[in-house]
Amino acid sequence: MSAIEARNLVKRFRNVTALSGISFSVNEGETFGFLGPNGAGKTTTIRILTGITAPTAGSASVFSHDIVLDTVAARRSIGIVHEISNVYDDLTAWLNLMFAAELYAVNKTERERKGSELLERFGLFERRNDTVRGFSKGMKRRLTIAMGLVNSPRLIFLDEPTSGLDVQSNLIIREVIRELNADGVTIFLTTHNIEEANLTCDRVAIINRGQIAAIDSPERLKKTIRSVQSVEVAFDSNTVIKDEFLAFPGVSEVRKEGDKFRLFTEDPAGVIEALTSYAHSRGIRILSMNTFGPSLEDVFIRLTGLTLPSHGVKAID
Amino acid sequence: MTDPLTDIPPGGSGRLFLELNAAWAIAKKDIRIYYFKPNIIVSGMLFPLFMFLAFAVGRAAEPAVMIPGLIAITILFSASSIEPVSIPIERRTRTFDRLLAAPVSLNAVVLGESLSGFLYASAIAAVPFAAGILLFFVPVQNPVPLIAGVLLTAFCFATMGTLFSAYPTESPGDIMSMLNLVRLPLIFISGIFIPLSSIPPILRIVAYLSPLTYGNNLISAAFSGTSHFPWAVDIGMLCLFIAIFQVMAYRLYRKFSD
Repeated sequence: MSAIEARNLVKRFRNVTALSGISFSVNEGETFGFLGPNGAGKTTTIRILTGITAPTAGSASVFSHDIVLDTVAARRSIGIVHEISNVYDDLTAWLNLMFAAELYAVNKTERERKGSELLERFGLFERRNDTVRGFSKGMKRRLTIAMGLVNSPRLIFLDEPTSGLDVQSNLIIREVIRELNADGVTIFLTTHNIEEANLTCDRVAIINRGQIAAIDSPERLKKTIRSVQSVEVAFDSNTVIKDEFLAFPGVSEVRKEGDKFRLFTEDPAGVIEALTSYAHSRGIRILSMNTFGPSLEDVFIRLTGLTLPSHGVKAID
Repeated sequence: MTDPLTDIPPGGSGRLFLELNAAWAIAKKDIRIYYFKPNIIVSGMLFPLFMFLAFAVGRAAEPAVMIPGLIAITILFSASSIEPVSIPIERRTRTFDRLLAAPVSLNAVVLGESLSGFLYASAIAAVPFAAGILLFFVPVQNPVPLIAGVLLTAFCFATMGTLFSAYPTESPGDIMSMLNLVRLPLIFISGIFIPLSSIPPILRIVAYLSPLTYGNNLISAAFSGTSHFPWAVDIGMLCLFIAIFQVMAYRLYRKFSD
């Protein structure tokens, strides 16, 4: 059974079309990444799949429950972690968790057991009786995720779970995502951190301007754009000029990244030879040299048409 | 069989249980967070008192006439003061999204929000009531219309507060401003300061459109023993207003959550 089935979802806000008939399915137990630039339709999709907003056309179901016709049944299987840490600052961590559990009618014994377990798991048990107002951003984020798990959902929507967090919170949250996946929980993850999606997701959908640009496993997506392989090189001299590499055969683009240069090419072997000759002729030493295949970020950029920061526009946000 | 992890009973009563359980959870949350917020205390307790004093001091009316009016005004303001503060704040902090995404209908969310205003007003109404009994020695002729009047009027105006709070703003001031455009005229057209029998016929028609008229009539009947309408009319009209506000609130929250 699919955890999520979205069929030709359309959403219009007056004259603006936020979603133009997107279709996809998420398998039970899968970690599914949903990537896209701001305004691409990610949040609208989540709001439809969680029954907060109705589609203009099309349909969606969660564990075979139609999200419009059978909203309550569909939501009972869902946990939602919103992009913003929407916790009640005036309540303690414990009362926040208990409130989230009560909304799902989790019984008293179970919600107290689960609440204690989650606070321990997220490193908040010692602070359970403190009001959330004094919590750091990372602690609030961890509590938000704990609140999303308190009803033991079969499917959890994680909207930017690690965005802008400290290292400790990041590590805890990533570990929890791995554990959830191992426990068979389906994860619908939206993230701006493409490397995170690459490492955690079984499949990734890239959405752009309200349309699905691609859906596949990260590795398969990378194989679709072999032209963005690259060679990274560092020299023991700071006299090297970036533009000199553009004259190398097969080099399409050169970026300076810290003390290194990255040369994009379809022929890494040829570029390695050219770099070796270049260093020899200039009398300088190569300190390090690595080759890279296309990253998921490259796929993202290619499919969404985003311009790179070096070209004066923006990164993936 | 009952789900071992939840309290949900089997069968058709399970859905009703879910709705009421969530509504109560929302009300408890509001009680914990908002009852003692300064702006709630000002708009729910002090504002009706000052409004009453401004119009009642110097009048020759008997305490038996003024105390029911004070109770009615207190309920009007206190019942409709929680949600216009809590809901815009929760929109701003995005905690309102938790309620919209909960596995219950929007009716349960509206009911839960109204419950907190209802309980607040029911408790605050005890203050002018106690003052009437202890300071002005105003006797209660019949407790039945008093209890019915306080509870139904409190629920009616709590639901009205929830209805106005559907307006999609993150500022409590926006809701309060709109609400005062309705609440302040209601005081003057609902027979609190001028008996319904003494106002011009055209204004009396307007008075019949005010839920406060029926609430005030019930509460006054408890103290005076006489009533402009039969109690059944008061109770029926208050129930009708509650139903209208609930349905309108449901539709507006549905519309604005899109």
